[in-house]
Amino acid sequence: MTIFIGVITTAIFLGSLILIFTEKLHRSITAIAAAVLMVVFGRVFGFYSEQAALEAIDFNTLGLLLGMMTLVAMLEPTGFFEYLAVLAARSSKGKPMRLFVLLGVITTVLSMFLPNVTTIVLIAPITILISEILGVSTVPYLVAEALLSNTGGVATLIGDPPNLLIGSAAGFSFNDFLIYSLPIVLISWAGALILLRYLFRKELSRRPKNVEAVMQLNPTESLNDPRTARRVLIVLGGAILFFFLHHALQISPAFVAMSAAAMALVLVRPDLEEMLRKIEWSVLIFFGALFIMIGGIEAAGVLETATRLIERVSSIPPVLFGIAVIWIVAGLSAVVDNVPITIALIPVIQRLGASGMDVTPLWWALAFGAGFGGNGTIVGSTVNIVVAELSQRTRTPITSEIWNKRGLPVMLVTCAIASVMYAVFYQLF
Amino acid sequence: MKISSCMKRNVVSIPITETILEAAKIIVKKHIGLLPVVNEAGNPVGVIGLGDLLTLELPDFVNFLPDVDFVHDFGAVEDTRPPAKALNQTVETLMLPPITVDEDSGLLRTYALMLQHHLHDIPVVSREGKLVGISSRVDIGVAILSTWQKAD
Repeated sequence: MTIFIGVITTAIFLGSLILIFTEKLHRSITAIAAAVLMVVFGRVFGFYSEQAALEAIDFNTLGLLLGMMTLVAMLEPTGFFEYLAVLAARSSKGKPMRLFVLLGVITTVLSMFLPNVTTIVLIAPITILISEILGVSTVPYLVAEALLSNTGGVATLIGDPPNLLIGSAAGFSFNDFLIYSLPIVLISWAGALILLRYLFRKELSRRPKNVEAVMQLNPTESLNDPRTARRVLIVLGGAILFFFLHHALQISPAFVAMSAAAMALVLVRPDLEEMLRKIEWSVLIFFGALFIMIGGIEAAGVLETATRLIERVSSIPPVLFGIAVIWIVAGLSAVVDNVPITIALIPVIQRLGASGMDVTPLWWALAFGAGFGGNGTIVGSTVNIVVAELSQRTRTPITSEIWNKRGLPVMLVTCAIASVMYAVFYQLF
Repeated sequence: MKISSCMKRNVVSIPITETILEAAKIIVKKHIGLLPVVNEAGNPVGVIGLGDLLTLELPDFVNFLPDVDFVHDFGAVEDTRPPAKALNQTVETLMLPPITVDEDSGLLRTYALMLQHHLHDIPVVSREGKLVGISSRVDIGVAILSTWQKAD
């Protein structure tokens, strides 16, 4: 009977992974169906109750996402993102290499504190505008923005959904990420930028003809609503300050984000219906449903079997084990969404920890692998898919082939840098 | 009043087998906004609008951005031309399904139809489905307004 339950729950999990990967069905619909199936079988065979399913949902992750999404939804119509990109375009004086670095830096910093996908959705159209005006290919800028935001997002607790999940499961604070992840990410990010400048050297050496047109863009004009922008940015700044302190104050990041969202709502008083439409509900649903599904697998005891298998091979030195985790997770994240992978591995690592192993370094290995792996292919992360889809509507579409020549080397280099630093500083984790 | 009283009867149309470039040539030569596409029997099977042709040249960032008010100069975009490959495709690839009215349709009914479908011009067909005329918002609007003066 236990084997039968194990087979069924594994089949539901693998089946939904395949559907998510092949995009035969919207991933949120897949996740809801899988979550419901899991609870149905759980009730029939008595291994998973409705109560347990609800408890499996990590409301800290959902609350943090919802809070940050609300802030961005209020910031978006103010034209703040256009303002930043136009500022970058003007300070670059139309020099492609400088524009490339400036847009990369802006996207990275934004994606360290705001949801990556939202950042890209807002910055990519204005990037397309600037490069179309200049008359240069949009490919280097869009690809670099996606790769650098994926890389930079690993640095903070709120930068990347896998980090939220890992932070929540391992009890890492915002500052833990700044201490343990940020230094490694900074060096890997710099490596990625240098590599990208080299890989795109041909496109970026061409001198654009229409520099004057770009210099006529006026940043202040693109900022439609400076009052609202200022208010939301002040609240956002306050939220980031409280993220630094959340551990000391014993409040959850979700509480900080939701409080900030509430404060901004009161200050800005936007058209609520319109603002709510900008929230990516499908992402929240996807996460909630995934938590329920993974909770079912855990309750069925499938992960226990998996953990026992890992324990058998974990006789290898822990440093090598950690590096192996980086590369295996990165390889998986390159082809499948890194969120389900992270959610699936979290209980495995928790069980390894319960069996007496020091798993703190493993959590970081998981974060690096999940974050950097997404760069490997055009479907590796949602951000990649977004820029690729947007570029289909320009004269220079990003193909899978282009991605394999730029993204894959970036993934390999960042993982290599992370592995070396991981090994060198292993004792500090 | 019927639509047949305020339509242009010498309608220019294009056979479905012609290219997009040819459609553009006709639109330029006749200075018109809408070109009905007809099959061999002369029945309208689609329409090519001036706007549909322009979307081939208009960059998509205009649709992505909430507004382009702050962009004073489109720079290199002004000089872009649609690729020859796109222009040499048949009109069938670009045309939209035709929204037509019967020649005995009323003026207000036709105007309401045009408003709802965001049309500036509307082809008029006979009972047999043959293209017999074309009418614009201005043609219809002026015809409706002229009845006000008669009432005085």
